[in-house]
Amino acid sequence: MAKKFLQRLGLKDKLLAIIVPLLVLTAWQGAVSQKLCSELILTPPLTLLKTLLELAQSGDLTLNILASLKRVMIGFLFGGTSGFVVGILMALSPFLNRIFGPLIKALQQVPEFAWMPLIIMFLGIDEFAKYFFVAIGAFYPMVLNTYQGVSGVPEKYHELARVFEYKSFRYLFKVIIPSALPSIITGIRLSLGLSWMFVVGAELFGSDSGVGYLMTWGRSVFQIDLVMAGLILVGVIGFAMNFLLERAEKQFFLWREPVEGRHA
Amino acid sequence: MKKLHISKKTKRILGAIAVPIVFIAFWQLFILAGSPSARFLPSPYKVLQKFVILFSEPTYSHNIAVSLQRVMIGFFIGTLAGFLFGLLMGLSKTAEKIFAPFFHAVRQVPMIGWIPLIIMLFGMNELPRVLIISVAAFYPITLNTFSGVRNVPREYLELASVYGIKGIMLIRKIIIPAALPSITTGISLGLAMSWSVLMVAEIFIQTAFGIGTQIQRGRDRFDIALVLAGIITVGVLGYAMTVLVQKILTAVERGRVISTVK
Amino acid sequence: MSDNKGTLEIRNLSKSFIVDNNPLQILNNISLSVSSGAFVTIVGSSGCGKTTLLRIMLGLENHYTGEALIDGKQIIGPGTDRGIVFQDHRLLPWLTVGENVAFGLDKLKQKEKKFLVDEHLKLVGLNGFESAYPYQLSGGMAQRVAIARALANKPEILLLDEPLGALDALTRMYMQQELERLWLLEKITMIMVTHDIDEAIYLSDKVVIMSSRPGVIKKIIDVQLSRPRDRASSDFMRIKAEILQEFHLGTEYPFAYAI
Ligand SMILES: Nc1ncnc2c1ncn2[C@@H]1O[C@H](COP(=O)(O)OP(=O)(O)O)[C@@H](O)[C@H]1O
Ligand SMILES: [Mg+2]
Repeated sequence: MAKKFLQRLGLKDKLLAIIVPLLVLTAWQGAVSQKLCSELILTPPLTLLKTLLELAQSGDLTLNILASLKRVMIGFLFGGTSGFVVGILMALSPFLNRIFGPLIKALQQVPEFAWMPLIIMFLGIDEFAKYFFVAIGAFYPMVLNTYQGVSGVPEKYHELARVFEYKSFRYLFKVIIPSALPSIITGIRLSLGLSWMFVVGAELFGSDSGVGYLMTWGRSVFQIDLVMAGLILVGVIGFAMNFLLERAEKQFFLWREPVEGRHA
Repeated sequence: MKKLHISKKTKRILGAIAVPIVFIAFWQLFILAGSPSARFLPSPYKVLQKFVILFSEPTYSHNIAVSLQRVMIGFFIGTLAGFLFGLLMGLSKTAEKIFAPFFHAVRQVPMIGWIPLIIMLFGMNELPRVLIISVAAFYPITLNTFSGVRNVPREYLELASVYGIKGIMLIRKIIIPAALPSITTGISLGLAMSWSVLMVAEIFIQTAFGIGTQIQRGRDRFDIALVLAGIITVGVLGYAMTVLVQKILTAVERGRVISTVK
Repeated sequence: MSDNKGTLEIRNLSKSFIVDNNPLQILNNISLSVSSGAFVTIVGSSGCGKTTLLRIMLGLENHYTGEALIDGKQIIGPGTDRGIVFQDHRLLPWLTVGENVAFGLDKLKQKEKKFLVDEHLKLVGLNGFESAYPYQLSGGMAQRVAIARALANKPEILLLDEPLGALDALTRMYMQQELERLWLLEKITMIMVTHDIDEAIYLSDKVVIMSSRPGVIKKIIDVQLSRPRDRASSDFMRIKAEILQEFHLGTEYPFAYAI
């Protein structure tokens, strides 16, 4: 959405898009330096930049980002993969669908963060608990989208597979999964987004490393610039992950009619 | 074949509840069997007992009322603001150019990321809780209102200009009705987001009352039955609210269509 | 291909679908025999059961009474002895043209596969397109790829369900010539469903006329004209009139509706 918007803009519009945020930032910087607003409440942009640079120089930045990314990747791999497998099984077997369907639907009604206290009671707030928590976040969107994709494979492709005598794994990998792939990729995107949110949540809850930790630490030492720096990191990293995935998706879906072409 | 005459509907209902019942039965059996890993896990019966106790206490209904009120206020503010903002950007290309880059940039931050900042800015009180709930509703409603307004079919706008309809009338008679399906989608999404973020608000920004608080309290006392009762409450209430709002929105949409046809 | 392969024999075949818990008869007592290497078309109004009949020949529909035999053997499911061209080209959008043609050749070695794909793309006049995706093709090109995919398996019988139905009139006539060329070249049996009476006369040795509710064969007309056929010749017109006559008198529906 954001990218489509940027592509549509002409040069003049691009300038406008840059100038307005710049004006806001300048006003913000000005307000603080003119003492209209306390530096303790809103860190001016330049100070924020300095904080980020200092974090980078000291190595804290890389260390904490890597800690968060590691948790996301492990949790996402476990949760996403199990969601993928369960989704396929549910879509292919009416029996399993009847077993897991209502259960997943019921669990889905509960906001994910409500599980956090329970998980902490059983697992504490160590590394493993964090992986587990991220995995829960990754699981739902993956199950739902995989299930939808696979059960939505058009009958005509099933028939084609029968005519050409495709069975078992060949059938799964050459017909079913490719046909469900757009939906599966949507699942991966949502799943990764939620994983990122959950890792930050888990780190805010209790942690000695990670981007979330950076923020809680900033809060405990009353350094709002650290909190805001953490906030920016959370946003930028989330955006970057989504962006890379969209890029990869484009490479993957060369077979799709480009949307621009359809409009022309 | 048909010896027992069970209607299809009954069969469907039986099929749907069979699995949860089996699941609960296994859970109970698992605990009765005294498995060591079940030491901490309360039985379904205990959770049921907990509910009975909760229902007899005024705190429980108070917790629910506080949570519902919190969500309603936040959701209402977020819906109103999101609708107006989405409408503005949808109607005016200039407004879109000015605000959209900012909006999309800020939207990149997951809701949870705002928690430390708003606590620092506003302290641990009701304002940041309601604020974050309303922001959660704000994003999807803005996006869907915007795209609904932007995608009003050109034919309708041409028709309106032929009949000289402009300004507020154009918005009320043409643009909003045409964008309504998209707007209601945004509202449903917004409600789901608000309900989800309610837990974030109540668990991360400590408060005396609320279902999230109840869950937290269960954890502090190591009362797992209390935690589970809280989780079930959140799930059931969230589901009921989703269904209710869905019904209302469908009715609104249908009413719109009928009154437009007339 | 040996001389007596690719024969089809249908005897007293009837088929019902269950609609709202009640059986609804779709095909009633169909008998038809197709000799090796013949080109047979089936014409009839919409909904008279042409597709159902073709799907029975393909082995996608079971549960019927009567017999359906290929080369004397009961049909018990799809098999590589029969190829199919569906009305919607039904190419897989995520595969290139070449991969689509190779879809039925999965068990072969890479080299053989490539050879067969090249051969059949050339056959349908689409060499050079193997790495294009289906969305980049026109309707006629997509149907030609579907034909290549079906032929690459070397079937004895090619079944075609209104393969040219979605094409414009000129492309359609061109594709009719192409089909005739392929049929003469491959020397296999082709059974095609069509709406278009000109198309049926232009291509086939035998035109099977069906009428509906339930679907029965009204008449089978032999077309013994020399090829290539002249659509404007008086013989062509005479046969066309004969077929139109069947529709005109045979149904309770007005003529325009039946076609
Ligand atoms: N799977 C099915 N279940 C029920 N009715 C069907 C099914 N397939 C086809 N029919 C019905 O059978 C009739 C013949 O269909 P079809 O063979 O597709 O006709 P045609 O190809 O001649 O247009 C139609 O009335 C259609 O509705
Ligand atoms: Mg048909």
